[in-house]
Amino acid sequence: MNNKSLKRFIILCLSPALILFSVFMIYPTFSVFLMSLYKWGGLSSNKLFVGLNNFKILMQDENFIRSFQNTVFLIVVVTIVTLVIAIMFAAILVKENVKGQNFFRVIFYIPNILSVVVISSIFSAIYDPGQGLINSFLSLINGDGFKSIQFLGNQDIVIYSIAGAMIWQAIGYYMVIYMAGMSSIPNQLYESADIEGASKVRQFFKITLPLVWDTIRTSLIFFIISSINLSFLFVKIMTSGGPDGASEVFLSYMYKQAYNNASYGYGMSIGVIVFIFSFLLSGVINKITKRDTLQY
Amino acid sequence: MKRFLAVLLALSLVFTTVACSNDSSDSGENDSGDGEKVLKIAGLNGGYKTEHWEAIAKKFEESHEGVKVELTLEKNISEVLRPQIQAGNVPDIIYLAVGGEGKLTDTLIKEKAIQDIDDVLEMDVPGEDVKVKDKLIDGFTDTLITNPYEDGKTYLAPLFYAPTGLFYNANNFDGKYEMPETWDDFMKLGEEAKGDMALFTYPTTGYFDAFFYALLNETGGPELFNKAMDYDVEAWKSDEAKKAFEIIGDIAKYTHENTVSQANGENFTKNQQLILDNEALFIPNGTWLPGEMKDAPRADGFEWGFSALPKVSEDGDSYSYTFFEQMYIPNDAKNADLAKEFMAYMYSDEAAQIIYDKSGAVQPIKGASDMMSDDDPNKLFYSIYDEGAKAAMGGFASAPPVEGVDLTSGTGILFGTINSVVTGDKTVDEWHGEVVEAVEKISEAKQN
Repeated sequence: MNNKSLKRFIILCLSPALILFSVFMIYPTFSVFLMSLYKWGGLSSNKLFVGLNNFKILMQDENFIRSFQNTVFLIVVVTIVTLVIAIMFAAILVKENVKGQNFFRVIFYIPNILSVVVISSIFSAIYDPGQGLINSFLSLINGDGFKSIQFLGNQDIVIYSIAGAMIWQAIGYYMVIYMAGMSSIPNQLYESADIEGASKVRQFFKITLPLVWDTIRTSLIFFIISSINLSFLFVKIMTSGGPDGASEVFLSYMYKQAYNNASYGYGMSIGVIVFIFSFLLSGVINKITKRDTLQY
Repeated sequence: MKRFLAVLLALSLVFTTVACSNDSSDSGENDSGDGEKVLKIAGLNGGYKTEHWEAIAKKFEESHEGVKVELTLEKNISEVLRPQIQAGNVPDIIYLAVGGEGKLTDTLIKEKAIQDIDDVLEMDVPGEDVKVKDKLIDGFTDTLITNPYEDGKTYLAPLFYAPTGLFYNANNFDGKYEMPETWDDFMKLGEEAKGDMALFTYPTTGYFDAFFYALLNETGGPELFNKAMDYDVEAWKSDEAKKAFEIIGDIAKYTHENTVSQANGENFTKNQQLILDNEALFIPNGTWLPGEMKDAPRADGFEWGFSALPKVSEDGDSYSYTFFEQMYIPNDAKNADLAKEFMAYMYSDEAAQIIYDKSGAVQPIKGASDMMSDDDPNKLFYSIYDEGAKAAMGGFASAPPVEGVDLTSGTGILFGTINSVVTGDKTVDEWHGEVVEAVEKISEAKQN
């Protein structure tokens, strides 16, 4: 097969995927960009081209800004806490030869196979100000004078409550990924470090972390993007964005503007911001976490 | 190579166009293929369930040879219908109330995508010697909900009406407490009940629509209410309107401490449970509440009680907002004439009886409440208008959407902010100010 024929053959093989990708990815994305330039309710053919006006309004929309801040807060807090705990647990389970390692692996992984709806319901029950697990426990300690914590009713703490549920849901999955990465690190490296007198903490930072860095890096980007989607589901089920918008994230705000407020074009402009934000964030994370790959 | 790429691109373009275009061949009437005409009805599978729709569809098919009624009744009907409508597959009749989850009806109104049904009102009710308009209870086709454009035409047909007001445990007012007549009495009761139970709770802030509309009628009368619903800025700034905000601000002080935490789609029944557990005295709701909580545990001797809102003053009026649902024919319906016949049939005695028997819902037609059996507890609720309460009806007029300004939804500025007033994060003045500002923006958009 000559070079030209080979190229044709490759393109022919790729074309079904290219067509599907164009139809189901590129075209809808392009459509969202296009729709964001219109004032449109989403159902009729009655569209008014407004150019970038939707974006101008967005920049002054306090509710959007608040939803953006909440999303960024969730991304930062949930990502950091989840990854730190997942790496820590994975290191303990793999390197400390904890008995029943597989049992813990399964137990920690269970939240990941539960649907977000179920997890949200579980956490709604845990946060219940009347009979919830946390308030009941705290009232046992504090006695009669105890005043329930309004986990989902206090505007100052509701976003932390959402973060708690998201962290719980994600830890197991990432722990299992890191466990797989850590298991494949040759034991000789740790034995040598032991002989050299390196502490466990030093071994973790000098051997474990650098050798699973690529896994962490990949999972970090994946996790950040999935956090944006998951935060919408948690918020929609647990708080509906309330109280009074205190737990709104930008996907829930997009949904409300597109459907509740009949501002489909405006909703799509939020979608464009989400797209650009996710894209840029992935790029930034990719850049700042780039290190030389270590081989073993 | 270039030619090959061009063919590939052309193919993908054709594929995209075919995949994403509406079916232009489907522009005629719905037809099942064997000569049968198909009437497509889509609606909410809500508190009244679906049995009555199925029975009525069957009766309609029996009386219309060659007609098949195709029902699509879903709990998330907005989400089901939205993509279908966008794809050009529009039902002939939609049953989904204004303000419902997903706001599909609100969007269709704003997009002017609904047919007027004045000719339905002029039709004879099938099998009866009376016009639809004469069969309907006065006032139901004279509201901003049914006539959203104030052009003298009716677009949405009223269905299944129910009074709304305050529900309570009647046992608490059998010697223990005295039923408040005015809002001052109401707040006094709040002080009196302190330590025993909270005065008030609410399922979600969305339930304040009926509550607030009735209250606005009490503080400013129907004229102010109608102006306010038409986004009249001065009406919202008036002392009478402000009074309604202040009353809710006062009630906020006596609201059960767990209410806000539970005032969302997942946990609202926990707030309803507070009434059954004698942890709160009153809750705003509609007549579907006892049915919704029929299997829930309750305090010993619990008995549902229901009243209109207390009066602003002793010589004032007590109001109960009449909640009703709607059905309508979209502009792009393919069997509009048949849909109109079906609509007219919905107001027949036969259909009303089926609806009541199968679902407990009451049609807004003269004599419908007589169909209620004596042992139906709902009869007590429907009798509040006989006991002196005035009926409030209607809602906000249609207005063009203003990006970023959601005034009227359950989580919007007018009702959603109540959570912040209850928690103390916002004052009544701040809330009122935000509402006035939003009304100004919408009013401006309406005039342009």
